[in-house]
Amino acid sequence: MAVTDNERLREINSDYTERYGFHDAENYLYKAPKGLNREIVEKISEFKSEPQWMREFRLKALDHFLARPQPTWGSPMLAEVDYDDIHYFVRASEKPGRSWDDVPEDVKRTFDRLGIPEAERKFLAGVGAQYESEVVYHQVREDLEKQGVIFLDMDSGLREHEDIVRKHFATVIPPNDNKLAALNSAVWSGGSFVYVPEGVHVEMPLQAYFRINTENMGQFERTLIIAEPGSYVHYVEGCTAPTYSSSSLHSAVVELIAKPGARIRYTTVQNWSTNVFNLVTKRAVAYEDATVEWVDCNLGSKLTMKYPSVYLMGERAHGEILSIAFAGKDQHQDAGGKIIHVAPNTTSNIFAKSISKDGGRGSYRGLLEIAKGAHGARSKVVCDALLLDEHSRSDTYPTIRISEDDVNVGHEATVSKVGEDQLFYLMSHGIPEDEASKLIVNGFIEPITKELPMEYAVEMNRLIELQMEGSIG
Amino acid sequence: MPQVIDVCPLSELQPGEMRLVEWDDLEIGVFNCGGTVYAIEDRCSHDDGPLVEGEMDQETCTIECPRHGSLFDLKTGKPLTLPAYVPVDTFPVIIEDETIKLEVE
Repeated sequence: MAVTDNERLREINSDYTERYGFHDAENYLYKAPKGLNREIVEKISEFKSEPQWMREFRLKALDHFLARPQPTWGSPMLAEVDYDDIHYFVRASEKPGRSWDDVPEDVKRTFDRLGIPEAERKFLAGVGAQYESEVVYHQVREDLEKQGVIFLDMDSGLREHEDIVRKHFATVIPPNDNKLAALNSAVWSGGSFVYVPEGVHVEMPLQAYFRINTENMGQFERTLIIAEPGSYVHYVEGCTAPTYSSSSLHSAVVELIAKPGARIRYTTVQNWSTNVFNLVTKRAVAYEDATVEWVDCNLGSKLTMKYPSVYLMGERAHGEILSIAFAGKDQHQDAGGKIIHVAPNTTSNIFAKSISKDGGRGSYRGLLEIAKGAHGARSKVVCDALLLDEHSRSDTYPTIRISEDDVNVGHEATVSKVGEDQLFYLMSHGIPEDEASKLIVNGFIEPITKELPMEYAVEMNRLIELQMEGSIG
Repeated sequence: MPQVIDVCPLSELQPGEMRLVEWDDLEIGVFNCGGTVYAIEDRCSHDDGPLVEGEMDQETCTIECPRHGSLFDLKTGKPLTLPAYVPVDTFPVIIEDETIKLEVE
């Protein structure tokens, strides 16, 4: 990044608390009391006037959630999650507006401050904005609607396209997949429903923005993206929350289905405040000749545990996971990805980069599996960690299971420190130490940020800049 | 060489009921789905979950693995949802003299 860019970025003169960590007054239509029970789940279903099968699905998932113990792997921080200290449902508006003028004024002001309406005007094909439990604004460009593209909040998706939803919902991530998926299945609210008809290419990204405002809030959005044969869609999500001293919980479930020859790219720029537990299940299936790409950037949160996965079910399907995790003070980013080669001649790449500083912990946790019969499969896994000081920590947990002979698998891992020689080299060219550190970090993550749409790459670099403030390599 | 083994009298496995049969080193789940009896390997192909401890849906003739929720078709042994993706073995069921029998190998 040029020094002039850095100067421009420094002018923002902001930090998380000022830019994202603010909160609004609570003018809610409904706010559930803390804690989770059958009554709350029934109330959510009733509020949304759901069909009986969804109500039963939720209640069964609640039983699964209650029956399962809290996982003990991953991070010791998981033990701090207090499920009784969470509001599971908060409704801020009556229904999603199709115009920003329909959105409650204070909520609209928040999204203005986050720059969402402006981004929509400039470079997005559709936007969904979720505030607390539900989507308050949703719009997709008319020309896409005419081509049959559906981009709705999940609640509306279920109401308006029940047959498509019922056929695909929870087929990729069943409610009993894990404790957090069970929790989401019981109390899900909001998220996106995207359906791209056969052969349709959505050239500009669709974006969803998730915002938590209330203290001790639980946000449980549910996203389902179905790309019919030969179609293409790029979905981008961003997320922020106010900074509070007590914890909030974000636990999404995201299911992607790429039918033969389709391509789905799913980009996340997660920047939750550091009081948010971010425990998310994301999984995709790719059929014959289909491609699924996860671009996953994790900057915020107290603890993130997230391993987007791709099941390559059809011949020549391709999966790609690009993951960046930035762990600062008191943060644990436990991220990575999973690729499962089920069919022959499938290909995949996992590129994971983590940066730890100020005592933060970055972990890569990944699975590469090649099933019997997936002959000719090719995969490359690269995970690199950068430690910016002596107090920070990096762990790598790569699992590789191969049940077929005729395959080609590569795995590389590096852990490095920002070395004095690198700093010295840059400083000898007149670059101050702070600046030099940033340059090294930007160079380290550049292979992934270059995959982001330009506007997000700029945002990502800016966020990294903010995280790097005051950090000396 | 296929062999036929007795499971139990038909009256002891009512619709909606299931039971585990062990034979040699095989563990087989036997399920009465709406009056038709099916038998599949009692081992989820994802993580070895015991399928007979799961929940049977008689409407769709599926069994849900109690461990991670994959649904298996009792007729074909095929997984209908992830995370399992490999079918489990099925076994021919014979009803003879009001007794449930399985053909195993």
